[in-house]
Amino acid sequence: MYRFSFTFLQVIFLWVVLPVSAFAQSSATDLSGKAVDPLDSSRGQVAVLIFVRTDCPVSNRYAVLIQRLSAEFSGKAMFWLIYPSKAESAAMIRKHERDFGYKLPALRDPQHLLVKQSHIEITPEAAVFDSQRRLVYHGRIDNWYEDIGRSRSAATTHELHDAIQAALGGQDAPVKTAPAVGCYLSDTK
Amino acid sequence: MSGVSRAVKWLAAVFLLVASVAIESIGGSENLRASKRPTAPETRTDPASIPAATDPAPVTFNHDIAPIVYHACALCHRPGEAGPFSLLSYSDAKMRARLIAEVTKRRIMPPWLPDEQGPKFADDLRLTENEIALIQKWVQQGAPEGDPAENSAPPHFVEGWQLGKPDTIVRATRPYALAAGGTDSYWNFVFRNPVDRTRWLKAIEIRPGDKRLVHHANVLVDRQETARHEEKEPGAGFSGMELTIESEVFDPDSHFLFWKPGSIPYTEPEGMALRLDKDTDLVLNTHLQPSGKRETLQPTLGLYFTDKPATLHPVLLQMENDGMLNIPSGDKAFVVTDEFVLPVDVDALAIYPHAHYLGKDMSATATLPDGSVKTLIHIANWDLNWQAVYRYAQPVSLPSGTKISMRFTYDNSAENIRNPNHPPQMVRAGNRATDEMAHLWIQVLPRESAGSGIDPRVLIQEAMARHMLEKNPEDFAAHYNLGALLQMRGDLPGSIANFQAAVALRVQDPTANNALGAVLLAAERPAEAVPHLKVALQNRPDYFDAHYNLGNALAAQGDFAGALGEFRAAVKLNPEDANAEANLGSALAETGNRQEAKAHYLRALRLNPNLEYARENLQQLDSATPQ
Repeated sequence: MYRFSFTFLQVIFLWVVLPVSAFAQSSATDLSGKAVDPLDSSRGQVAVLIFVRTDCPVSNRYAVLIQRLSAEFSGKAMFWLIYPSKAESAAMIRKHERDFGYKLPALRDPQHLLVKQSHIEITPEAAVFDSQRRLVYHGRIDNWYEDIGRSRSAATTHELHDAIQAALGGQDAPVKTAPAVGCYLSDTK
Repeated sequence: MSGVSRAVKWLAAVFLLVASVAIESIGGSENLRASKRPTAPETRTDPASIPAATDPAPVTFNHDIAPIVYHACALCHRPGEAGPFSLLSYSDAKMRARLIAEVTKRRIMPPWLPDEQGPKFADDLRLTENEIALIQKWVQQGAPEGDPAENSAPPHFVEGWQLGKPDTIVRATRPYALAAGGTDSYWNFVFRNPVDRTRWLKAIEIRPGDKRLVHHANVLVDRQETARHEEKEPGAGFSGMELTIESEVFDPDSHFLFWKPGSIPYTEPEGMALRLDKDTDLVLNTHLQPSGKRETLQPTLGLYFTDKPATLHPVLLQMENDGMLNIPSGDKAFVVTDEFVLPVDVDALAIYPHAHYLGKDMSATATLPDGSVKTLIHIANWDLNWQAVYRYAQPVSLPSGTKISMRFTYDNSAENIRNPNHPPQMVRAGNRATDEMAHLWIQVLPRESAGSGIDPRVLIQEAMARHMLEKNPEDFAAHYNLGALLQMRGDLPGSIANFQAAVALRVQDPTANNALGAVLLAAERPAEAVPHLKVALQNRPDYFDAHYNLGNALAAQGDFAGALGEFRAAVKLNPEDANAEANLGSALAETGNRQEAKAHYLRALRLNPNLEYARENLQQLDSATPQ
């Protein structure tokens, strides 16, 4: 028993002394460098991951809508901003959140773990996980942008909104995915 | 008494007065272009010598891609410019490699609307098919950097003011706060009286503020200070997509003063300077796109002057057919046309087509008297966001009798993703973003025809006004302008008839009533002039010209007491006008107040020592006055 217990402590100890960067190997991190799994941390709520970049003009133009959607579903769905670009430091992200008025928890995903889990290729793009951690929608926020440089004066379909609402009601999302327009994540590797 | 009546005003229905001060060469004189294009990297190879994309050799950034990117992208994609990120190094390009491949393949970038039909335009940054294929291949191969020895330096750009320190810098009085989100904004900044005396503008650098927020901007020359009345308080600016500006004299706006991302300010060729007077305002009309965060803009203008007054006088041909714009909802291909026959020989220098969000295919052609047809511009996929003034690389010669045809097609279906109405609705002409426009401006330089004696600009403007009236006999501005042109040509009956038609359309309009009064006075019909001048003053009590003209009309009928009151009012409104001072002197002399009359004659002569009739009146007064 002693021996077993000792081994267990040893494991704990090793975790504690591991450098922060090593955590990043296997997890997204918050801006202090702490590993965070947004699906665990959403505590059984619907989790909405929105992938953005500080320097992507398309995702920046969505800031107002992203903040509004998170307010609309406040208390029902947990929103996270995911910054997948390796080049974007915690300080850059803090400044970006301030500039654009974001009041959402931000995570860095330089290893693209959440990107892969969410099947994301573009910023801005969103993923919705239901309370059972199942990916129920991934893709564009809405159809505001038809193509790069080609936008409607206002969106006419609202895929992310509809998917969140469906997930909250225990329904399937009307569409499982819809193609996003914006900046390619493959360019950030 | 002076019989001088005030020149009638010229009403220029100029929406979006534009003018990229930019003529590369006029009639072979090509010494005047002073643009500071970045020095093209020396390694940029002639497209013909670029290895074919099927070449098995690897495509590298240093060898193949840098010259393309530095030439065609870096102008905007560098710090402080409109591009959302920089493209000034291998790592910059590598970080955007797939995006670059996508947007170049589909010709979304570099932004350029006209296709290859028609004459060559200056500053055309379109990539060749070969260049596009090279970029594709480079990205497919993993976007390699290549041999560092082949690395070319990024282009050198001029920092700060592109033409050196401007002679005058004016800054918008107050910044504009652009909301974080929502639809695009159209905001106008008024720069009040930027010059304190008549100056000849040879170049203007428009610095609209954060260039990432500005789609395009136009400077309007407001000689009548009309736009400032739109401001709730001085310096506040005002909202609006399109503007109408009145002009005081026959001085149609004829220069494009236009800014779009990547614009480089140009210097006008010698002789093509634009006159700015001391009481002229400049109005900056901007199209702004929210960025996602709250932004502020406080534009500045840099003005560059020359001592050489204008000797060449271009004209903006205004083709339009807003009257045809009744686009049924759902119509995918609604066509609007206009045709205009040139009354004189001209050289076309620049062209600017303009529609809003439903515009799709836009073309202009010229059918020459010999029957041959030239394309002047063709845009297959109009995009308001990338609108521009296009300057011809070489002037396009169009002889008298050439028929210019404009043909715009509009898509008012739900499939047009830019349709501002969802679901689509009937759309008509108007100045709001949800309305439409069908306008095409062509800047032409009339060839001087030996001996005709008539300014060819007058012939063009007259033909345009008559053409407008063919399209719409109730066009107030066309009647008004035709009246002004005919007056200028000495055709008083024709002038009176057109001003009467204008007044019939807008009975209370002060400008038209004053003009009609002025020509009736010139035709020695003062009794008929008086009621119109009174209507002008009822509607605009502080109208200097109308007080002056009414004073003359009353004096012509012997009512010197009435005239005295009008000239007093005129002098109070404009104490610097020598003619008004002199006429006030005459009215005083006629009513027996010689002492005061003398003072006003003297003041008139101080204002204008060459005012001969004032000097003669003064001598007459002195000789008649008992010492």
